[in-house]
Amino acid sequence: MEIYLPIAEQSMNVFVLLGLGAAAGLLAGMFGVGGGFLATPLLIFVGIPPAVAVASQANQVVANSVSSLQVHWRRGNVDLRMGMVLLLGGMFGSSAGVWLFTYLKSIGQIDFVIAVLYVIMLSTIGLLMLVESLSTYVKRRRNPGAPRGKLHTHYLVHRLPLKLRFYKSKLYISALLPVGLGFLIGILSAILGVGGGFVLVPAMIYLLGMPTAVVIGTSNFQILFVAANVTFLQATTNGTVDVVLALLLILGGVVGAPIGSRLAAKLPGVVLRGLMSVLILAVAVELLTELLRTPSSLFSLGTREVQP
Amino acid sequence: MRRLLLALAAGLVCVAGAHAQGPRVEPPGGMLPAPGLGGPTDSSAPPSVPIESATPELVVDLSRARVSITSAFQGESILMFGMFDPPGEVVVVVVGPEARETVMRKQRVFGLWLNTGRQSFDDVPAYYAIAASQPLQRLLARGVGGEILSLEDRMSTVKPVGSRGSSELARFRGGLLEVKRREGLYPAAIGQVTVQAGRLFRVDLPFPSRLPEGVYEVKAYLLRDGKIVAAVSRPLPVGKVGFSAQLAGWADHDGALYGLGAIAMALFAGWLGGAIMRRL
Repeated sequence: MEIYLPIAEQSMNVFVLLGLGAAAGLLAGMFGVGGGFLATPLLIFVGIPPAVAVASQANQVVANSVSSLQVHWRRGNVDLRMGMVLLLGGMFGSSAGVWLFTYLKSIGQIDFVIAVLYVIMLSTIGLLMLVESLSTYVKRRRNPGAPRGKLHTHYLVHRLPLKLRFYKSKLYISALLPVGLGFLIGILSAILGVGGGFVLVPAMIYLLGMPTAVVIGTSNFQILFVAANVTFLQATTNGTVDVVLALLLILGGVVGAPIGSRLAAKLPGVVLRGLMSVLILAVAVELLTELLRTPSSLFSLGTREVQP
Repeated sequence: MRRLLLALAAGLVCVAGAHAQGPRVEPPGGMLPAPGLGGPTDSSAPPSVPIESATPELVVDLSRARVSITSAFQGESILMFGMFDPPGEVVVVVVGPEARETVMRKQRVFGLWLNTGRQSFDDVPAYYAIAASQPLQRLLARGVGGEILSLEDRMSTVKPVGSRGSSELARFRGGLLEVKRREGLYPAAIGQVTVQAGRLFRVDLPFPSRLPEGVYEVKAYLLRDGKIVAAVSRPLPVGKVGFSAQLAGWADHDGALYGLGAIAMALFAGWLGGAIMRRL
């Protein structure tokens, strides 16, 4: 069954889009990350223009993070103060990101930048996860009772000015770091159409030293508002948010997420992370081959304009 | 006699038209004048039909008055049909609205393919198709050039923006043609205009799913001895209708409201989805 996407201006199979949404939802359910980082490249693979894929995916992230936030909010797992500080950076970052996106689109380089950023990001994360899960697996087999590493290390974070107390996270650190982190994630969010949870969550744990319990809820808080900001700005500046596309992805996600969380309950974490890293690396390799392979046509068209 | 023939023609194409539309037949909505009622001239035809002649030498109609891009739109084929006074040859040209297009060319830089060159052209038709009842080259070679242009000739009239060497320009022009052909917007072979009984003609005009909006122009020419003896032009509006049109119009005219609407939709859908998921 085909459906015409009014903003992408092309027809697309409904089940392909629902399936994509379900795959992203599955990941979200399994790992607690948005799944946008896989959905966006896959949308591009099936032929949605990258600009539309990114902007509509941001819209989907809003839905994804709100349903996740509900749960964590109820459990009291949101550090509101930290969330606000992250959001401060996130709002600036995402606004700058949309501006950058618009500029790159106008000079015809946005598709290339999206692809390159995805290759770098996915291969880094994929490799790190693969190495981590493999080494954990090996270590556990050799030495099941090994003590865990240090819980709290003091880095640069503790020496910067503008220190703030974050009661819920039990931290006393400089506000500059979360603001900067929020800023970077905001840019990423705007250009790649992702929530950025898969970067934000490890950064909050390892860089800021936040307790794991409040990390997911707090990151979802920041992602919700950043994604809403990206959606709004993309709609007003580029007009590339396709709500029909977003809605189909959301619907697919609603189906996929509970399946993912059930799978996650059955499989051990190491295996899950191993599987996920292989999946991420596969997408990265595919994107890289697209960049390296001689294209079937050297030519493409930019947006049609009214003649001056 | 002519009246009778016309009625017969309309009846015939009515059947043929219904055939060509396949399963998704919509009521023709009064596009076909009822035989014998409308008189010899099609009353819905635009004023470009030569009025001075009481019995026109060329009469045309389209199987649909417009291309409606609905939520189920997957591209469409529209039938143009009509009748002419023999002898003669018929040429049909469809032109989409003109705009500026920018062609980008990829090059290998450090092993990666990226856009390095770009060239804009003005007066580029969104869509261009041409068909004739005889091989086009033979007809055009006889001196109707200027008024009727083959796709290649039409492409040579697009105006480059800025200055560039002619060999480079030709390459970008070729690139423009290549992309437009790939997207089905410059269908290379829409097939011949088929002629039946020496005076009835028909041709299918294919429109792909990725179709720019605007008012297209469908022109039919009657050629005799290499000269245009009659020409009829019909506007063909292409546009989104219904839900697609509303959404697109909203996004276009009020991006802020559309953005807020998109956010509200996602918030509601996400909240609802989350609520349902917890029940499961």
